[in-house]
Amino acid sequence: MSGGPLIVQSDKTLLLEVDHPDAQACRMAIAPFAELERSPEHVHTYRLTPLGLWNSRAAGHDAESVVDALIKFSRYPVPHALLVDVAETMDRYGRLQLLNDPVHGLVLRGLDRIVLIEVAKSKKLAGMLGARIDDETIAVHGSERGRLKQALLKLGWPAEDLAGYVDGEAHAIALKEDGWTLRSYQQEAVDGFWAGGSGVVVLPCGAGKTLVGAAAMAQASATTLILVTNTVAGRQWKRELLARTTLTEDEIGEYSGERKEIRPVTIATYQVLTSRRGGAFTHLDLFGARDWGLVVYDEVHLLPAPIFRFTADLQARRRLGLTATLVREDGREGDVFSLIGPKRYDAPWKDIEAQGWIAPAECVEVRVTLTEAERMAYAVTEAEERYRVAATARTKLPVVKALLEKHPGEQVLVIGGFLDQLHELGEFLDAPIVQGATTNRERERLFDAFRDGSLRTLVLSKVGNFSIDLPEAAVAIQVSGTFGSRQEEAQRLGRVLRPKGDGRQAHFYTVVSRDTIDTEYAAHRQRFLAEQGYAYTIIDADDVLGPPLPKID
Amino acid sequence: MATTFADQLRSLPDEALGALIQLRPDLVVPVPADISALAVRAQSRNSVARCLDGLDEFTLLVLDAARLSRAADTALTSVDAILALAEGAPAEDTRVAVDRLRVRFLLHGPPEALQIVGAVDEVTSPYPAGLGRPADYLDAQAAALCADRARLRRTVLAAPPGARAVLDRLAAGPPIGALNRDSVAEPVTWLVDQHILVPVSEAGRAPRPDGDLVELPREVGMLLRRDTGPLGVLRPVAPVPDGPSRDPQAADSAGAGQTMEAVRATEAILEALAAEPAAVLRTGGLGVRDLKRLAKAAGIDEAGAALLIETAYAAGLLGESEAAPARATTPAQDVFLPTGAYDLWRATGVAHRWAALARSWLTMTRQPGLVGRRDERDRPVNALAPDAERAGAPQARRESLGTLAGLEPGAAPTVDDLLGLLSWQNPRRARGREAAHRDAYFGAALLGVTGLGALTSYARLLLADGETDGGDPLGVHPEDAHADAVRALDRLLPAPVDHVLVQADLTVVVPGPPEPELAAELDVLAEPESAGGASVFRVTPASVRRALDVGYQAADLHELFRRRSRTPVPQTLTYLIDDAARKHGGLRSGSAGSYLRSDDEALLAEVAGDKRLTTLDLRRIAPTVLVSPRPVARLLGALRDAGYAPVAEDAGGATVLTRPKARRAPTRSARAPETAGPVLTGPRLAGVVEQLRRGDIATRAARRAPVTVRAAHGHAVPGLTAVQQHTQAMAVLQQAVRDKARVWVGYVDSHGATLSRLVRPVSLSAGYLRAEDERGESLHTFALHRITAAVTEE
Repeated sequence: MSGGPLIVQSDKTLLLEVDHPDAQACRMAIAPFAELERSPEHVHTYRLTPLGLWNSRAAGHDAESVVDALIKFSRYPVPHALLVDVAETMDRYGRLQLLNDPVHGLVLRGLDRIVLIEVAKSKKLAGMLGARIDDETIAVHGSERGRLKQALLKLGWPAEDLAGYVDGEAHAIALKEDGWTLRSYQQEAVDGFWAGGSGVVVLPCGAGKTLVGAAAMAQASATTLILVTNTVAGRQWKRELLARTTLTEDEIGEYSGERKEIRPVTIATYQVLTSRRGGAFTHLDLFGARDWGLVVYDEVHLLPAPIFRFTADLQARRRLGLTATLVREDGREGDVFSLIGPKRYDAPWKDIEAQGWIAPAECVEVRVTLTEAERMAYAVTEAEERYRVAATARTKLPVVKALLEKHPGEQVLVIGGFLDQLHELGEFLDAPIVQGATTNRERERLFDAFRDGSLRTLVLSKVGNFSIDLPEAAVAIQVSGTFGSRQEEAQRLGRVLRPKGDGRQAHFYTVVSRDTIDTEYAAHRQRFLAEQGYAYTIIDADDVLGPPLPKID
Repeated sequence: MATTFADQLRSLPDEALGALIQLRPDLVVPVPADISALAVRAQSRNSVARCLDGLDEFTLLVLDAARLSRAADTALTSVDAILALAEGAPAEDTRVAVDRLRVRFLLHGPPEALQIVGAVDEVTSPYPAGLGRPADYLDAQAAALCADRARLRRTVLAAPPGARAVLDRLAAGPPIGALNRDSVAEPVTWLVDQHILVPVSEAGRAPRPDGDLVELPREVGMLLRRDTGPLGVLRPVAPVPDGPSRDPQAADSAGAGQTMEAVRATEAILEALAAEPAAVLRTGGLGVRDLKRLAKAAGIDEAGAALLIETAYAAGLLGESEAAPARATTPAQDVFLPTGAYDLWRATGVAHRWAALARSWLTMTRQPGLVGRRDERDRPVNALAPDAERAGAPQARRESLGTLAGLEPGAAPTVDDLLGLLSWQNPRRARGREAAHRDAYFGAALLGVTGLGALTSYARLLLADGETDGGDPLGVHPEDAHADAVRALDRLLPAPVDHVLVQADLTVVVPGPPEPELAAELDVLAEPESAGGASVFRVTPASVRRALDVGYQAADLHELFRRRSRTPVPQTLTYLIDDAARKHGGLRSGSAGSYLRSDDEALLAEVAGDKRLTTLDLRRIAPTVLVSPRPVARLLGALRDAGYAPVAEDAGGATVLTRPKARRAPTRSARAPETAGPVLTGPRLAGVVEQLRRGDIATRAARRAPVTVRAAHGHAVPGLTAVQQHTQAMAVLQQAVRDKARVWVGYVDSHGATLSRLVRPVSLSAGYLRAEDERGESLHTFALHRITAAVTEE
């Protein structure tokens, strides 16, 4: 018994005891093949998945080294069956290869003939494979590369993609590192992405994902298509690129509802790409408009389904996905992996926080007790309306105000999901509201006012969930949201994670109605962050509202 | 010859005779009367076959060499002749093998004139070393060809590639091939034409449906075996498996990990069975769907689950029990359930639990690898079904593991290597047992008997224990016979831990196997998420509520986490417990026979305090509600008697008004008035009349029937049994046929009614009496066995 930091479980999860002296070495050893699933304060959970093992095979690790790492760091004997399973799983990778044949174009080659026969017979590959060239080679329709890879993955025989990438139209891009440099983890992320060709980089909000994108573009030095969630986020990308790279105003185009510019670097919104006219997607041509050398997907966890389908056709181009939380409430994380690429870089939030790149945050759940009247109203509400009734209770208003008063002089965002409630809050707090209906010009104006400090409090609807860069915000108060969405919670916390100039702490409050479905959803929402090591504190609204009344015995 | 054999035995020194008996213990069971009897037995088919079963491949080939080198006239051979044939192996090895055969008395006599025990030819293949019979025995033309060595060589070399392939296959043995009757392949035709192959028809054998046989003469076979020697490839020593060698410690560790896994999976399966018992199939065994379910519950594949289920059954942890039928209409059905022994088993340590499983696995006469395969009728074999019973399974496991134990520690042969080794050691015994050996190999890996493919140190101890116990005829051994193995395994397994790590995401990690007490606590207050070396639990509002339900107080839970946790208890958990405790019991439920409510609290207080109403056991559950275990009617009556004015409510809350009811019998439907029958007219009337007349005649006739006939219907005629009566009746009837007399016949009709008739018998045959009726109008047929009596008309 080695007394190592790692415990291997029967369900192929690995528990890493963080406080163990060997923990760091062990983390380095298992990171290439195991996926970090949860990183709370004491015991981190990694999982051995076929995908993770195949990715590590692709990166040049063999089964023997994986088994060695497991045995070396394991505290207890590792079951033989698990070791066998690891070896067998890894052995399945690379039996099939996708190659560029000089004569036949894209081909699927089987190093193991029987495997090739097995997959060729599968119904799932119908229509993807072309003529059989010889015993070991089958032609593949070029446009099916992505779908074929996805289907082979599902069949358990992942293909090694050796067909390479299109370089795209060259366009000189360089980073302009004047007075700043790429942080170490950003560099690692770029390197990881470039070595793998395509893939997803997972970094916490505020950790500088845009810079990872910019550095990747500099590395590629080719025309780039950037897909973002909305126009404001697009403008932020543009601003950042102008500041950090050698790109000039003329080289960056905006492709949105308002403008349709196609330039060497084009920033397009998901929304315009998925807009339809007469049932047809009219703007998908953008993908073919230039010979793009790199496609960047910002907030890849929001990738809409039509783009999924189109991305399947883009397999010959390098693709970079950026996200803070690869949790999709629709459970399609797997599609992101197989279409954009596997996870190339992931860092626990708390690690980045420890390095000082994101602000330390205190997460507090404030529980308000509904008044009798509200409780009664809640009790008799229909099931589908219950969350709205609980989340928009008026009792929350004074609590929000009290929280604001607790942080005088700080920039505060109040975030909610129900417009009625936001309007009430806006009036009650005397603060402007940014919502879907707000024009882009008005948004820019409000954000600028917030940035320069002339505006202290801003009420945001769901539009505030993503890609809004408000570095000065130090306090976020969420009053309602999209049911139990974990990634929304993480994104909202992200709004206050930009490191503050004086290194002060960020505060993230959630105001929740006690004993209602609001509490349950809040618990679900918090799971992702709790698994990232954020310890929520729960306090009562009475503690916020003021000192308890003196008791008279 | 037997005398010489006996004489040789007789002349042996005592030690040599002792050695023979030691090598062939079956010779002295039972102890023969004298040496002659011993000699007869040593030459018997059974004993020789058994002795051959124990020999390795090389020794058997040397014996084949002895058979081949026998002189045609004397049937004697010599050590030198054998050595000449076995030129491919070192002479020393061959000599040792010959000695092995001589001490067993399969070869006997002086070295220069060795004789082979006659029974050897009977119990071994007719083609020693895979060579055919000599050419001159088979066919003159073939003999002529073989006599001319140069011509033979030329002919063989001239063989076309197809023919050459056939030759090579036959030369490797067996030297016999079947001809395809419909279309003899061209190469074979060529060979037969060249007399290299000889068609043979075996005497005393039915013609084969697939055509005739061809045989490769011995000389041709030996020519083709030029490269390897006449006996083929000789392997004087056991083949060394080229599988990787493992660090014995690593093997032990992997094996120990697997033992934990096997024990855990077994427990998971049995727990799943306890939660939802699986029905015993009518053909015996466990259904496929249940097997899938249990495999899923344990998180292993179905083959593994089948093995563990079979093992658990053999270990007595699992048994059949009659289940209470789900509905009253369905018949009671047997189900599989964990036994009482399971609870005892579960209370012991992992090493003990494993030893119990491994021991049962070693000795169980089941072959779990058959589960899921199809039997000869193409039906899948079910786990625990009689089809998977194999008496030879324990022996096969012993052989496989024994062979593994014979290798270097840490040697990890592949399954094919192991099978090869087994087939070298005892070719005769291993044949046909490949499946069982394979099954043993995989079972050993799954149970952690082997780790990384190598036999583990603790399993070695377990095997050694089993072998010393082997002599115990009853197979009973004390429980602690495996104490060494258990102790060795225990040293490899992690020590139980008594603490947990609690984290802010409400997971509780037990970093090792939990102590039983801790396990019981966590069972109640958290949901398991992942098991293995450690266990991960999650505390949820539901799990805390469960803990409160079984009697924990919030303070107990706080204290428990404080005591067990090595890390500070997160605030969220504290809050969760308090929150759950606050809500716990916020709703109260119970049952009552009736309630009494009033908006007037004072009135209810008065009722509750009324001494006259104490028999109602009224209890105040809210200011405005009283409940009583008595029924409503009684409550109302008592209240009214006491001068109150209660009103009853129905389930919907509406007032039920009652007024005193007069007593009445249950309502009946009135009797329908009698209507006059339909008026009969015409033919129908005539029919009725006719019917009446016939009835009348029958009645009168019956009245005329003699007493004996009538009496036979009700009670027996005094002094006669039923059989005698029947015999008598037959006699009467026969007489009546002859006399054409009229007879009273008593018989039982198809409705069981007894009748009497006056008839004139016409014939009596084939079990039937044919008779005209009284008026000679029609012919009737009576079954004789229905006739109870017959009396001639006076």
